[in-house]
Amino acid sequence: MNESSPLVRLRDVHKRYGGVRALQGATLSAVGGEVHGLLGPNGSGKSTLGKVLAGSVRPDRADIAIAGSAVQIGSPRAAAKLGVSAVYQQLSLVEELSVSHNLVLGQEPGRVGFLSDRAAKAKARPILERLGPALGDVQADQPVRDLTPGQQQLVEIGKALLREPRILILDEATASLHRDQVQVVFDVVRELKEDGVCVLFVSHRLDEIMELCDRATILRSGETVAETVIDTVSPEEIVRLMVGDVQTVEREQEEPAEGPVRLAVRELSGKGLSDVAFEARAGEIVGLGGLQGQGQSELLSALFGATANSGSVSVDGRPVRLASPRSAAARGIALVPGDRGSQGTLPARPILENLTVASMRKRASFGFLRAARERAASQRMVDELSIKVGGLAEPVSSLSGGNAQKVVFGKWLLNEPDVILLDDPTKGVDIGAKSEIYRIIRGLARAGTTVIINSSEDRELVTLCDRVLVMFEGDIRAEIRGSEITEERLVQAALRIGEGTHGETTAESAT
Amino acid sequence: MTATDKAREIEERTAFFDRVKGIRVASWATGLLLAAAAVVAAVLQPNLLTPYGVSSTFATFLPLVLVAVAQSFVVIGGGLDLSAGAIVALSSVVAVQAMRGEEGTALIGFLAAVGTGFACGAVNGLIVSRLRLQPLIATFATASVFSGLALFVLPTPGGTVPAAMTETFRQAIAGVPVSLLLVVAVAIGWLALRKLRVFRYIRASGGNPAAAYASLVPVAGARFASYAICGAVCGLAAVAVLGNSGSGDPFIGGDLALNSIAAVVIGGIALRGGIGSPIGAIAGAITLSLASTILFSVGLPTSWRALATGLVVILALSLSALGAPRRQR
Repeated sequence: MNESSPLVRLRDVHKRYGGVRALQGATLSAVGGEVHGLLGPNGSGKSTLGKVLAGSVRPDRADIAIAGSAVQIGSPRAAAKLGVSAVYQQLSLVEELSVSHNLVLGQEPGRVGFLSDRAAKAKARPILERLGPALGDVQADQPVRDLTPGQQQLVEIGKALLREPRILILDEATASLHRDQVQVVFDVVRELKEDGVCVLFVSHRLDEIMELCDRATILRSGETVAETVIDTVSPEEIVRLMVGDVQTVEREQEEPAEGPVRLAVRELSGKGLSDVAFEARAGEIVGLGGLQGQGQSELLSALFGATANSGSVSVDGRPVRLASPRSAAARGIALVPGDRGSQGTLPARPILENLTVASMRKRASFGFLRAARERAASQRMVDELSIKVGGLAEPVSSLSGGNAQKVVFGKWLLNEPDVILLDDPTKGVDIGAKSEIYRIIRGLARAGTTVIINSSEDRELVTLCDRVLVMFEGDIRAEIRGSEITEERLVQAALRIGEGTHGETTAESAT
Repeated sequence: MTATDKAREIEERTAFFDRVKGIRVASWATGLLLAAAAVVAAVLQPNLLTPYGVSSTFATFLPLVLVAVAQSFVVIGGGLDLSAGAIVALSSVVAVQAMRGEEGTALIGFLAAVGTGFACGAVNGLIVSRLRLQPLIATFATASVFSGLALFVLPTPGGTVPAAMTETFRQAIAGVPVSLLLVVAVAIGWLALRKLRVFRYIRASGGNPAAAYASLVPVAGARFASYAICGAVCGLAAVAVLGNSGSGDPFIGGDLALNSIAAVVIGGIALRGGIGSPIGAIAGAITLSLASTILFSVGLPTSWRALATGLVVILALSLSALGAPRRQR
């Protein structure tokens, strides 16, 4: 190991997605023969940093050196040439192909353009044997579609190993694995380390980081804030490094909402959800916290009737049929979706139409719309929410992100909802518009509306919420109330909640 | 307890919809339909089984069989080629003009047809893989261009084809008609070439383009190749058309493209890509052709052919949907 010239060195990495700065000057330096953790809270840019190295995200600016020489990595192919392989939680397998064909995909053995199945199997065999204890009875010529998610994840890992990388990125690669399977992968990682491979390990699971990693780089808001040697720090210190010495976020909550129970959810199960139950009062702002992708968005779309689910939901004591967004809207539930572009707006249509589309029925007489009423309704929203528009006839695509998001709010406010579901409502919105959206949300709560909000920013939950439900693997695992809601508490709850229950709910039969 | 039961029920329900979305005709359904069509056709038209019957039947089937195989490469690669029929028309008239009816030019005609087809396919491939236009729209547009060019090359049906080309078609080798042998040759040709790297890449790109790209598969190249190969095979189909009809016709492409898509579906190739094999496309094409033979022999007008095509497609899909075993997970 030579500290002076690390195997991987990333400096000054910048990446913007629209208005969001995913990375702003992040750095990373790791040597061969170490397992290097990449840590950070939601949205800190750790995955993006890994993807820059793997060639699947093109940075706006970056200074990358591998084994001391400066390189450009423009594609996964370029990364592979440099000996970089990556495994993500999101699989890159072709379901129609067999296990061995997937393992050798992109580097099939063969002669003059003809492929040899026998050579492919021979090439795949050592990997299958190495991962055998975790794979169970998987056969080389079995189609990948027949495998369990955990087995597929292992094939994905095998695929990266087969390329014999110098640098291996494991990005949440163990999330869908059972505890025993994780141990097999860890053993493989330790062997790679012995052979001088540099393993970059991105994980939300603090216990895995503590067990496997030698050192760790900690990111916050797209910047590298610390590099630590794992043996010398405690989990608590790591959490503190991730959250940072934040100034206490101003909480504007006067006193907890005392209204009657408005929204009651029982035994709600379905895609990504298991047996969720909670209640929310009129005028209460309830946040959904935890690691990203633990069922928060799924819960919101389930409450809105957009996905098939079982269980019971009631508003003001009256049951809601979870059949379609229309039946949910009829009971006064509204959803402001996270993805403005695809679900929230009709970008090419005028602002007026976008504002009125969900509530037209209320104002129409015998199915005919009155232009004057429509105009009055949309103008009222533009004024109330202070949406900066050139004219109501202009398309929504002419607006900035913040103003477009206000249009989405206005669309649902015209329906005068009792329960409003917000899925990451300020994603990609600038700070000024953000505080105006917060003002709108608080105004809604004061008027007695129940607000359920999912956010990719813990700070947002601290600012807004009366109560935060911490989700893990499709279920609510903890609840934080009132003044106890701090960023540190949220990160801690999110990270430590999974300890000891690893793989329990993703457990799958070994067959 | 009831909650988990219900959750399971919902899981099964969503699994069902997933299946419907990725639905394709099962290979047993393809086989069943092919066998049924063959039996019915043979019963209704006994002379179909005479050497002459087989020879002329397969001679008329061969163009669709080839276009279906061509289409299968594109569809497995996740695309669609609406211009396949127009490519056949253009390739055939270019070949007719290249041969000018003179003897001994059959090879020139053959190369002209395949070359033209390949060039047209390459144009499609470039538009889809480099300009990234929707295959449906891109090939719909190029279909018009190719048809227009065909009219430019040969404004009215006519021209003659060297006897070598037409007679080969009517001959028999050891009692087996050449047209049947050619269909078998197409199948064997595929079996011999299927291990080519490019076909694996086409399949991977059609099955999951993002995964293929991340696995260092040249996705754009594979896509280009699928259209180019499709074009070249359409050129072969043009030769079959010429051998069968003996003269050039710029309007020959008509229904070929849509029929080839129907054949591919009947043959068990999923339109979303990645699944199926050209062998299925051959079976699908023969089934479709037999279906119209049957209609003809019961005295229904040929304009009803489209109806038969539609019914066979629906029958094949619903057979598979009803008979498919639940996927085990």
